[in-house]
Amino acid sequence: MGLYVLVAVFPFYWMVITTFKTNSDLYTLANNPLWFNEPPTLSHIQYLFEKTLFGRWMLNSAIIGVCVVLITLVIATPAGYALARLDLPGAQQLGIVIFATYLVPPSLLFIPLTRVVYGLGLQNTIWSLVVVLPTISIPFAVWLLMGFFKNVPMEIEEAGLVDGCTRFQAVLHIVLPMSKAGLSAAGMFAFAISLQAFLYPLVFTSSAVVKPVTLGVVTDLIRGDIYYWGELMAGALIAGLPVAILFNLFLDDFVEGITGGAFK
Amino acid sequence: MATLARGVAAPRTLAHRLRTPRYAGYLLVLPAIIYVLALIGFPLLLGIWYSLTNTTVAAPGHFVGLQNFVDVARDPTFKLAVRNTLIIGVVATAAKITLSVALAFLMLGAFPGRGILRVLFVLPWTIPIALSTIAYKWMFHSQYSVINWMLINVGILDQGIQWLGTPIPAMAAVIFVSTWRAVPFGAITVLAGLTAIPTDVIEAARIDGAGWWARFVKVIVPIIAPILFIALLFDLIFTLTELTVVFILTGGGPVDQTQVLANYALQVGVSGTQLGQGAAIALYLLPVLLVLTVLSLRHIGKREGM
Repeated sequence: MGLYVLVAVFPFYWMVITTFKTNSDLYTLANNPLWFNEPPTLSHIQYLFEKTLFGRWMLNSAIIGVCVVLITLVIATPAGYALARLDLPGAQQLGIVIFATYLVPPSLLFIPLTRVVYGLGLQNTIWSLVVVLPTISIPFAVWLLMGFFKNVPMEIEEAGLVDGCTRFQAVLHIVLPMSKAGLSAAGMFAFAISLQAFLYPLVFTSSAVVKPVTLGVVTDLIRGDIYYWGELMAGALIAGLPVAILFNLFLDDFVEGITGGAFK
Repeated sequence: MATLARGVAAPRTLAHRLRTPRYAGYLLVLPAIIYVLALIGFPLLLGIWYSLTNTTVAAPGHFVGLQNFVDVARDPTFKLAVRNTLIIGVVATAAKITLSVALAFLMLGAFPGRGILRVLFVLPWTIPIALSTIAYKWMFHSQYSVINWMLINVGILDQGIQWLGTPIPAMAAVIFVSTWRAVPFGAITVLAGLTAIPTDVIEAARIDGAGWWARFVKVIVPIIAPILFIALLFDLIFTLTELTVVFILTGGGPVDQTQVLANYALQVGVSGTQLGQGAAIALYLLPVLLVLTVLSLRHIGKREGM
């Protein structure tokens, strides 16, 4: 267990130490690579924000992430609700079919999607990703939310109707608040998917100014054969940490969303 | 008359409101269906059509039948990609499942510092894979590899390994990074299954004289098997179609020795502008994916009582 945590964490330690080391410290073979042999420096971080579009990439990622979350929730919530609670004939099968599309991987879709993105006039914009990334999050979110909505007792919604709410009000004031864990898990999943994505950004965005941060860091801090390791690690660290923290906050909801139905 | 009618009508209105018209229900699902059809269904069909044509980025192309599939099958790089995709899929998935189960058991008990330990424990899974892979590329660097430095200093190696420059170490590196990344999530999923097992079931088995291995095989495995099976199928699907690790870590090299299907499809279809051939390479994955998908859906369907 201790060994495992060491292996799990070491790359992050390596990112941190590289970020704050001077280049002469990094590239002197006689030095102990695990610790500072020269005083730490902020020059890599400075370079990142002053000489590259790093700030812009972070902003792009944030915009893409928020849009994907909104699109996913707006489309998946009504679908998940209807499939779980309205007693529609074939609802279960329909839910499974929608979920099955989650298993169609980006690597099968990216070539034809270039045509679709081009047809929409969105090539080389962040909006191409806003349109395309929900292909991964919507199917999963519908499935996740179906599970959560099924767990809200029908009697509670009925009680709201007796009190004179319309069905819509009952859903808004009773069912949705009770499914908060599900909604936040679905939203977080959509956000994580958009920040984790690599293939779609790689294919659909080419100018530095429209890249999301994960793509920008691993493509624009390499000039030909020269890797700017200090800047690369600084970028990976600064872009990666917020995602990791966010993920941790919602982890329990997320795990419950995935495994919740399996053990009842 | 009116007041009387209202008295009896109330329950009927409630029943009526609960029985929302069906078309309204389907209307709520419609945006999801339209989205899925437009951006998953249609591209999938378009991809199949591309694979049957000689479409390039510059020219629309025309129908050529199965020519792309035949050409691709003769291509030595494609053969390497198939081999490597299968090796990575099988080895990485086996490693992920084994380690996930083992770690889930280790995490089962309550111990001090569990909260902070869990945060560290899930780090590999929570950070975007492209970013951690670039860190590994630096750790496996030909000259400044910290991994070599540590292995030499501990006395395991006499001289450094060219991790990404020699075929077998490069494959090992790809499999390692892929496994490193997926294990925390696998372990958490299994852990959720384990904590759902009622302790009296295991206690009963212990009283009946079952040793820990017998308890594991006869009691615990059957209970967590369904979720384990689905996790395995899903993981296999994602591992077989993944390209980020290969793209960043090795680029498929050295000389295509770590090439995988998804990355090769990208090279031929996008960088090489041969959309038709690229689509054909990617579609070679489809039969395998179909089998895995049907298997997992049948399993899920059974669980949902269909």
